[in-house]
Amino acid sequence: MPEAELDAALAALIAAARRAAAAKQIQGDVEQRLLQSIVDATTSLFDAEASSIALFERDPDRLEYRVAAGAQGAGAIGLSVKPSQGIAGYVFSTGQALALSDVAHDPRFDRSVAERTGYVPRSIAAVPLFDEQGTVGVLQVLDKRDSASFSLRDMELLGVFAAQATAAISAARVQRDTGRLLHEVLGQIGPDLTAPQVEELVAAATRGLDADSESPFWQLVDSVSRLRAMSDRELTLVGEILDVVAKHAERTTRRA
Amino acid sequence: MTDLDLPAWSEPFVDVDPLRLARRMRIRGLNRAWAWGGSTGAGVRVGIIDSGLESSHPALRGRVTEKVAVEMVDGDPHVVPDELGDLFGHATACGGIILGLAPDVELVSIRVLGADLRGKGTAFAAGLEWAIEQRLDVVNLSLSSKSEALFPVFHGLVDEAYFHNVVLVSAANNVPAPSYPSLFSSVFSVAAHAQPDPLRFYYNPNPPVEFGAWGVDVPIAWKDGGNTVATGNSFAAPHIAGLAALILAKHRGLTPFELKAILAAVADNPRASKGRR
Repeated sequence: MPEAELDAALAALIAAARRAAAAKQIQGDVEQRLLQSIVDATTSLFDAEASSIALFERDPDRLEYRVAAGAQGAGAIGLSVKPSQGIAGYVFSTGQALALSDVAHDPRFDRSVAERTGYVPRSIAAVPLFDEQGTVGVLQVLDKRDSASFSLRDMELLGVFAAQATAAISAARVQRDTGRLLHEVLGQIGPDLTAPQVEELVAAATRGLDADSESPFWQLVDSVSRLRAMSDRELTLVGEILDVVAKHAERTTRRA
Repeated sequence: MTDLDLPAWSEPFVDVDPLRLARRMRIRGLNRAWAWGGSTGAGVRVGIIDSGLESSHPALRGRVTEKVAVEMVDGDPHVVPDELGDLFGHATACGGIILGLAPDVELVSIRVLGADLRGKGTAFAAGLEWAIEQRLDVVNLSLSSKSEALFPVFHGLVDEAYFHNVVLVSAANNVPAPSYPSLFSSVFSVAAHAQPDPLRFYYNPNPPVEFGAWGVDVPIAWKDGGNTVATGNSFAAPHIAGLAALILAKHRGLTPFELKAILAAVADNPRASKGRR
């Protein structure tokens, strides 16, 4: 992806993040909204035909497509596939990021899933979503409009998006569980409270559980944007300064 | 969110960053002709712990000599003969890359990925234990476990492999989170570079990832006799596994430590100007 486009995309990403942070305060399915903002940002950053997030669910074991974005993304939502099936299944099972190009020309590619979404991609990149327990899902991007395949930098960036998606899932689940717990406790200690009163108390208690725009991820995106604006010469200089700082830090650590 | 402080492990290889890869210090007197010239990998057994090899695939040319699978029975892993093909195509892709470099190695298929996902980390560890017990020469691990609970298990196994001269080649993970066993120091951890040359590889003096090999838009074998083009550290690791097999076939009895030193000495790193490592 050309540098100028990437810069623009990163700016769009930051804007999306700010919206996501705001959206988080709105009642409703917080996790869904956050994941949606992530696939929206992913689609925009990669200028892709579609992107989607599938989460692992049990009984029966399956990967369920929860959100999708892009011109060709809508067909995936709600779809379930076996965790041992296709590219998403492989990435989920192995924990390894993977990209395939030339997919449509290979008749042995798992087309059944793709066809159910109404769109058969030419190329696909998929990265696992991890939390402390292990792999919880897969983030996929289909068909960059300006390129037939995915670069190493694409894979690295997608990995960072995946980390943010996982953080969003964890944060939303903590928030939801806290909310549920508060509902239960309030219901027991204050049986005379009306439902709207409980809602109000829960909302007041869970507000401020996250400060997304200050998270290390968005700081990182800001830093990457600033670094990308630098010339090669400036980058080399920064590299050399960092080298000196690292050596100095090493010496300081050793003395300490 | 502290995970995000970890490095992006393919970064040194993205444009072959001379700031990170240039080296002044390297062992002299070794070259590729000495390291693997004339070797075909004959006599070396390479294990592939993955989705199971499709032994009839043309790219594997009948070189699959044994196939086992780890099955979970009541939560316990059992190693049993395997008749299934490749569930995903991924193991076959790795096998094809290895044979492309070392055409006469014997491939041993160890399938640890299957329908049952509940014990997949445990199955992986059991497959690795089996490979070490068999004293396979090289084992390709284009998969990883995130399970903190399995950290000590993998740690023990990786040491066991090292002490018995079993070379473990492990794909690094591009997602910034710990993954085992690629983070252990004695494995050959590999990330991808984008230059389309199976023999081009780099030694990274800045761990945790130690080697960079071709892993972008690699033509690979895929399931049901097929082929495709793929990107991922999964496809970089088998390039290093193939080279390791070539060297081991020619110099029997090398330890993993010696093998790493040889690979570092003949790697394609740019020469550094004065003052760099």
